[in-house]
Amino acid sequence: MEYVSPEGLRIDGRRPMEMRKLQAEIGVVAKADGSAVFEMGNTKVIAAVYGPREVQNRSQQLSDQALVRCEYSMANFSTGDRMRKPKGDRRSTEISLVIRQTMEACILTQLMPRSQIDIYVQVLQADGGTRSACINAATLALADAGIPMRDFVTSCSAGYLNSTPLLDLNYVEDSAGGPDVTVGILPKLDKVTLLQMDAKLPLDIFENVMQLAVEGCKAIADYIREVLSENTKQLEYRRGL
Amino acid sequence: MTGLSLGEKQFIQGGIAQDLRSDGRKRLTYRPIYVETGVIPQANGSARVRMGGTDVIASVKAEIGRPSPLQPNKGKVSIYVDCSPTAAPMFEGRGGEELSTELSVALQRCLLGGKSGAGAGIELSSLIVVEGKVCWDLYIDGLVISSDGNLLDALGASIKAALSNTGIPRVHVVAEASGEDQPELDISDEEFLQFDTSGVPVIVTLTRVGRHYIVDATPEEESQMSSAVSVSINRKGLICGLTKRGGAGLDPSVILDMISVAKHVSEQLIDRLDSEISAAEAIEEE
Repeated sequence: MEYVSPEGLRIDGRRPMEMRKLQAEIGVVAKADGSAVFEMGNTKVIAAVYGPREVQNRSQQLSDQALVRCEYSMANFSTGDRMRKPKGDRRSTEISLVIRQTMEACILTQLMPRSQIDIYVQVLQADGGTRSACINAATLALADAGIPMRDFVTSCSAGYLNSTPLLDLNYVEDSAGGPDVTVGILPKLDKVTLLQMDAKLPLDIFENVMQLAVEGCKAIADYIREVLSENTKQLEYRRGL
Repeated sequence: MTGLSLGEKQFIQGGIAQDLRSDGRKRLTYRPIYVETGVIPQANGSARVRMGGTDVIASVKAEIGRPSPLQPNKGKVSIYVDCSPTAAPMFEGRGGEELSTELSVALQRCLLGGKSGAGAGIELSSLIVVEGKVCWDLYIDGLVISSDGNLLDALGASIKAALSNTGIPRVHVVAEASGEDQPELDISDEEFLQFDTSGVPVIVTLTRVGRHYIVDATPEEESQMSSAVSVSINRKGLICGLTKRGGAGLDPSVILDMISVAKHVSEQLIDRLDSEISAAEAIEEE
């Protein structure tokens, strides 16, 4: 099947280096300390942060830093075929772990010992790149909650089909069987915190694809910065400053 | 939810007794309701309803299936509610299962009628394609994103909106089949039949605090309730389902009174919902 046409257009009409349309909204869940909705094309994810708060399970309490917990769940209607089990399956457990480790690297946990930060991510619509959308949404939600962080974490995926590196794969391109590289970076510090790939890729092409994903992450970081400064302006306005 | 002090509790109870609740509403006033339809493009129909801080999404998916041999002329509908941990940390893992089950069963009772399928709020015989062989299975999934009290009413409203938004593809029978074989079907991608939702009921929950009933309770008010009755009423004023929650016993005359109050409130709620739903559909069409 042809994923990149001879004119250089992908199935959904994008260019190989073009990302899907980004949309983000902060403060959607009233009860949460911080929350955000992040959309990458048709993938829509909602993240809510509760914390820092008292540790619920005393045995897990850490005396020198905050405990970061994460749960990833997909809605029944998020995929094309209706899912039976929204959470608890192996993929969800793995992604929860990945998000937790990624966010733990950027939160200044030393500032909040003996406390707990819960990050809950709910996928409303899945169209490829859910992992990345979840990390981006979690970053926004943590910022909304006012939790101190070293830097944002932004994430993007890239692949290699029809001898072309492609940025931000959707579900069809992801299921094509080609490689899928997911990268998470701290944009200001220019450090990689998450790197995952499946399938095979020659080393020199891998460097290209990873570089493309990193560019995508930087573009998302610009967008997130814009969204947050807009949000701060709104808050200032409401406070009458 | 953090606990309430004695002063706060008395404030809530006193306010309700004087027809002035903590947020300024009267006893039988709903919070502002916002409806958005078509939020899940992959589903046959979907809607998102916000009542104050409560935010729920309902989606309807239709799949071809076989009707049950006991009711060969009726389609099947199943309702399932999931409480997302984004709504409250206690819904993490299996914590939300109890509430999810309670809501799913209450919705099934209110919307689907008895075991024989009679008296259902949703017209099941309209889901039949070939009697005894092929029917539509509707899977209605609710997701609670944010919980600020009165989940059942919000879910009922979102299911009604999602059903109004639902388009069932038109099916042509290509080849007839005899005996046990399934007939060949041609499912159209272009033509859709809109579901008729004039008979779908809404759910009104009346919470009894002290000697008065309130509608659309917030979590603080719900914590002060002695009992609550959820009534599902349709446009014609017929009661489609009833659920009583809470430990306190109620005098039968009180229940009848609550039902008549619910009927009165439901008329305004149905009108308001219908206008919100048509406004949402108009926005979606643009």
